[in-house]
Amino acid sequence: MTTNNSHRSAGDVLAGFERQITQDRVDAYGEASGDHNPIHLNEEYASTTQFGTRIAHGMLSLALVTEMLASEFPDTWHDGGKLKVRFSAPVFPGEIVTTYGEITGISEEDGKIIATCTIGCKKTDGTDAVSGRATVALE
Amino acid sequence: MAVPLISTAAVGHEFGPYDVSIPTERANAYAKAVGGAESPDYGDSLAPIMVVAAALTELIEDLGLFSGGLQTIHAGQEVSWARPVKIGEKVDAIGRLTANSVRRGNHFATVSVSYKDSTGSEIGTSSTTIIVSGEES
Repeated sequence: MTTNNSHRSAGDVLAGFERQITQDRVDAYGEASGDHNPIHLNEEYASTTQFGTRIAHGMLSLALVTEMLASEFPDTWHDGGKLKVRFSAPVFPGEIVTTYGEITGISEEDGKIIATCTIGCKKTDGTDAVSGRATVALE
Repeated sequence: MAVPLISTAAVGHEFGPYDVSIPTERANAYAKAVGGAESPDYGDSLAPIMVVAAALTELIEDLGLFSGGLQTIHAGQEVSWARPVKIGEKVDAIGRLTANSVRRGNHFATVSVSYKDSTGSEIGTSSTTIIVSGEES
């Protein structure tokens, strides 16, 4: 099944979602990525770091943002999509993050209609954990 | 303790190639970590960001950043992807150090990565910026 996004326009808000970043999710992400850095997995070690406790992998938060993009643009996100983000704040196990995005512009490049979007995910206190920009073809 | 590579590597230093093929077990772990009711149906494909994460783990290890006493902050990430990737598909990643400077005692390093399939075609690129503290330069 294909999804027609050709009607999308600047100002359209992407469908974000909430996710609680449990330690179980962090552990599973360690298995998936191979990143077993103790700052994510070992509370005793993490308590000696600048964060004072374990933190989630930044790429886990970014993965949630790309889930939103893949859901919004299922036919094109993995076929030419680009993103550029910065990691602004650590996410601690137990915290809830909410992904967000908005189309800020539509342009034509090499015969394709391209949407530029602001993207990211926020913590419940409103601070960005991840923020940046993505471009994706609309059809 | 051995001096981590980030202290000595010059811009242009190459990493890999790394085999970043993702088997079913790791794809399942990714789904457990990230998935939810809103998640797209990837079928027999996987989220390319997972391939990027696998390469990043290899890079961090080669840079010596899993050494005790070093604290690494993932500051920025760029990704572009040309086509979906199948679970188990052979993908190789080759990294290149494109920036490595020291400011106020912290290393700022950027590694760009090219991902190629079994035919040698580039299927994605990424660029990772990290900040490393806790190391005598």
